[in-house]
Amino acid sequence: MTAWRLGLLLAACFAVLLLAPGLVAPQSPLALNPAMALQPPSTAHWFGTDDVGRDVFSRVVHGTRITLGLVTLSLLLSVLVGGGLGVVAGFAGGWFDLVVGRLADMVQTFPPIIAGVMITGILGPGAANLVLALAVIHLPNFFRIGRSAALAEAQLTYVEAARAAGFAEPSVLLRQVLPNVLPVLVLNFVILFPLALQIEAALGFLGLGVVPPAPDWGAILEQGKNFILVAWWLSLWPGVFVLLSALTMSLLGRGLAEKLGR
Amino acid sequence: MTEFDIPRRAALALVLAGISAPHLAEAQQASIDPLLYGPTDPNAKRGGKLTIGSLVEPPALDPFRQAADARVRVSVLMYQGLFYEDPTGVARPLLAEGATPGADGKSWTFRLRRGVKFHTGAAMTSADVKYSYDFMRNAANGSPGAGDLSSVASIEAPDDHTVVFHLVRPNAALPMTLTNKYGAVVPKGFLDDAQSGPRMNEISVGTGPFKLRQFRPNSTLVLERFADYWQPGLPYLDEVTFVTMPNSAAMVVGLQSRRVDLAMFSRPQDTQALANAPGVEVHRWPSLGQKSLDLDCKFGPLTDVRVRQAIALAIDKKVVMDAAVVGYGTVIGTMVAGMQQGWGVPLDQLANQKPDLDRARALLRAAGHANGVDIELTTIIGYDWMEPAALTIAEQLKRVDIRVTIRKLELGVWIRNFRAKEMGFTFNDWGTTPDPGLLYYRHFRAAPEGADFRNWNNARASALLDRGQETADPAQRRESYAAFQQLLAEEVPTIMLFSADLLTANRTRLKNYVQHGTGWYFGLAKAWVEG
Amino acid sequence: MRAVPGDIVGQMLGQTGSDRSAEAALRGFFGLDRPLWRQFLDWLWATLHGDLGRSWYRGSAVAGMVWDAFLVTAELALATLLLATLIGVPLGVLAGIVRGSRLDAAIQGVNLVGLSAPVFWLGLMLLVGASQLLDWSPPFAWSGPTEDFGENLANLVLPVVSLAMLQAAAYSQFVRGLMVEQLGRDYIRAARAKGMPPFDIYFRHALANVMIPLVTFMGLILVQILGGVVVIESLFSLPGLGRLILTGIQGRDYPVVQGALFFVVVIATTVNLGVDLLYGLLDPRLKP
Repeated sequence: MTAWRLGLLLAACFAVLLLAPGLVAPQSPLALNPAMALQPPSTAHWFGTDDVGRDVFSRVVHGTRITLGLVTLSLLLSVLVGGGLGVVAGFAGGWFDLVVGRLADMVQTFPPIIAGVMITGILGPGAANLVLALAVIHLPNFFRIGRSAALAEAQLTYVEAARAAGFAEPSVLLRQVLPNVLPVLVLNFVILFPLALQIEAALGFLGLGVVPPAPDWGAILEQGKNFILVAWWLSLWPGVFVLLSALTMSLLGRGLAEKLGR
Repeated sequence: MTEFDIPRRAALALVLAGISAPHLAEAQQASIDPLLYGPTDPNAKRGGKLTIGSLVEPPALDPFRQAADARVRVSVLMYQGLFYEDPTGVARPLLAEGATPGADGKSWTFRLRRGVKFHTGAAMTSADVKYSYDFMRNAANGSPGAGDLSSVASIEAPDDHTVVFHLVRPNAALPMTLTNKYGAVVPKGFLDDAQSGPRMNEISVGTGPFKLRQFRPNSTLVLERFADYWQPGLPYLDEVTFVTMPNSAAMVVGLQSRRVDLAMFSRPQDTQALANAPGVEVHRWPSLGQKSLDLDCKFGPLTDVRVRQAIALAIDKKVVMDAAVVGYGTVIGTMVAGMQQGWGVPLDQLANQKPDLDRARALLRAAGHANGVDIELTTIIGYDWMEPAALTIAEQLKRVDIRVTIRKLELGVWIRNFRAKEMGFTFNDWGTTPDPGLLYYRHFRAAPEGADFRNWNNARASALLDRGQETADPAQRRESYAAFQQLLAEEVPTIMLFSADLLTANRTRLKNYVQHGTGWYFGLAKAWVEG
Repeated sequence: MRAVPGDIVGQMLGQTGSDRSAEAALRGFFGLDRPLWRQFLDWLWATLHGDLGRSWYRGSAVAGMVWDAFLVTAELALATLLLATLIGVPLGVLAGIVRGSRLDAAIQGVNLVGLSAPVFWLGLMLLVGASQLLDWSPPFAWSGPTEDFGENLANLVLPVVSLAMLQAAAYSQFVRGLMVEQLGRDYIRAARAKGMPPFDIYFRHALANVMIPLVTFMGLILVQILGGVVVIESLFSLPGLGRLILTGIQGRDYPVVQGALFFVVVIATTVNLGVDLLYGLLDPRLKP
């Protein structure tokens, strides 16, 4: 159970960074100070400064909201659309199930980063398009989860009973199936989070992520890669934060899986 | 400027070029110019292999149909035009031996060098020269260089060693146009095959000092010494391998661990780690390139010349340059740094060069933007200097209530917009062959003669550019281009920010490598390795 | 793919050439003047006849380019799989055997970190570490294993290690779970009660029973590695499939991108199918 507790503790820390970054890092993450470019870590700048003199600690802390926020948003979108489609497909079956299922298969055969590159290539880089790309990449996962859960539920007696009792199908879906599918979807949200986070960071690293000056972790890594031999702090800290937040979600995922008995 | 690595001989040539007008030595004797491709090192020894790290890889090696700078960098070693674009602004005879303009300026006669062989083994004749340039200037063949040859009416080959270019209108810059950026002299008939372009990724058919051995996509390009090369004793190196490197940190690591002998860097910060590396030296070279801000004169608020002027007046170029390249460059007005001395108007004689926030605000008010302006500034993915420059400019423009949001575009999309004349408000990064006509004409001459990418469509500017191209007298040319530059600064279709120095780093075993201001690898023809 | 704005013609002509007729001529040459659906049908038709076309930049056959790149990616992926298996399986087995102990907790901790570290970041850190501490770097110029095996290995070691950490962690987690499950089974308890030596229990029985899911997992990991190579190939300049696709997209070399993607999809499907077949072979219950 310690893993669960450690996960909760870390999650609480990240929640603070996410909700009130200004409390932790009062310096501006955007203010330029050319005279202080590429300064090593010091008491004034805990994580040093970048090539235009911005405080890296501030940028990384404020970046929490952007990076984790974007990943959360895209996965939520994925859960809603993918999971929703899956539940409907599993419940309805027939041609709808077939068509959407094949579509999901198609998306899944593309390596995720290639899919991301193509979507951001067509739509252009930027936060909204990045969210869309990440959501599409993970759509098939949630579709499949939603579908198999709905299939299993649909055969259970209480759904049959509900149907027999004359409930209309949509309301059966809503009242009976959804509450039972939800925990699985939440669990998979948590499990897929680290993977989505890594793809987000990778796309940012390729320059396809958010638009400057937003302090996204992947974007800071991209900016720092050329300076890595003279200013290691630019590349180290965002990576550590990606690692820690992925770790947090992995710990939570494990704890959650145990709690749900799966 | 004094810390530049300009070899003394080249500096001398610069002075000489200033005296000997017109700027190509007339009635050149048949001997070979000792300053072709840079200074010769008397201690040079033959032999040895060299590995060069490069951040970019040519998409293909066809000099006729690929505009990419990454292609030009390496193809100049395999393919040659009639002249060599000396960075000082002199067109030195290369495959030509000399040039004689006709009395009316509407023809040029070039005597060709004898004893030149193609990599195929065949000897070069005037028929090959006529064929090659006829191919290039025919727009249907899709060469990006076709536009530069629009003044050519026909090419004639009266005997094996002479070609005559007949012109529609006089073109004083023709020798400089027949240099090595686009096109080259190749064996007659070679380009007739529709697959000739891709074929040039397997073999080279030029006359240059090196020939192609192997070109592997996403990995390496290997050139080897051409034994029958016409410059006696050249080149010194037996083999040159270009390795595509993932980022500048990897190039630094490669130099430190002796995997790489030479690398060119785009930002000086990247070479800091090499400052104390044993066995590695870092050099700075003046550049013929420019980092600029382009303003589409038909884009939203930029349609009003007063808004464009306000933007120029709100920008402090020095601060932008410091943010982008930590001072390793030269602030420019309307001319790239490498040509400022010969052709540029001094910055204090140009309009809109010094920041003046009050005037900027007044101009904006007069243009009806009392509440400020919102505008999107475009940067290109992969151009590392643009992000810090964009952040700095956004902050500077905020002082006059111009609110900037930054937009990133992939290079392919950016080029599409640029060519469709839909660039908006964007950064640009481009270089030039060292002649003002070649720098300005295509970009700023109104259509159809020029491309006028920025929708400037200025009749006076076009007239000045025409005159600059048509007059042979250097003093008059300089005058036309000076007047053009005044107009450019006044009307602000572009804001030339700075020329970033070229930085090269090499292992000390590499000797006499001189970096050409274009960033192309001409210097390898005369470089050699020790031991 | 072809819906991405900007095409090869613009990139070939760049900032200088702007002649409309040159543009039209090139667009006609590449067939870009036809409607999108027509271009797609033509490609599909040719592909079904075994012709992936030629690269617009290189002129070489796409099939050959894709195959060359595939060999690089395959070597990278298999080496990664090997390393991940060699590290992950023993660690997982060990953790399963000593479950609940401090060693188990330590292994699990390492696994979690391995699962969480971004692969490209790890690669970057390894590159810097190797150069600063060992004064060593990969040659970056690619050599195939048959050309120069030493150089080949030197190029592969860092990317393989950075990719394998993640997969080894995943492997070890998975194997640990299987072992714990097996060791809790009745037959193991019975064997123990009969006094069978622990070595036989662990390796003859428990491990033998986890082979089936292990093979399945291997296929899963292989597909995952294929997805992960894009960034790592770019980071280390390896001329593999991922980089071929990425540079193809950037240069708008449609035949190359289409051919390579087609190939990746075929590979992924084949691996999945192979896993299914192996599964059938290994699991007697699935036999008809």
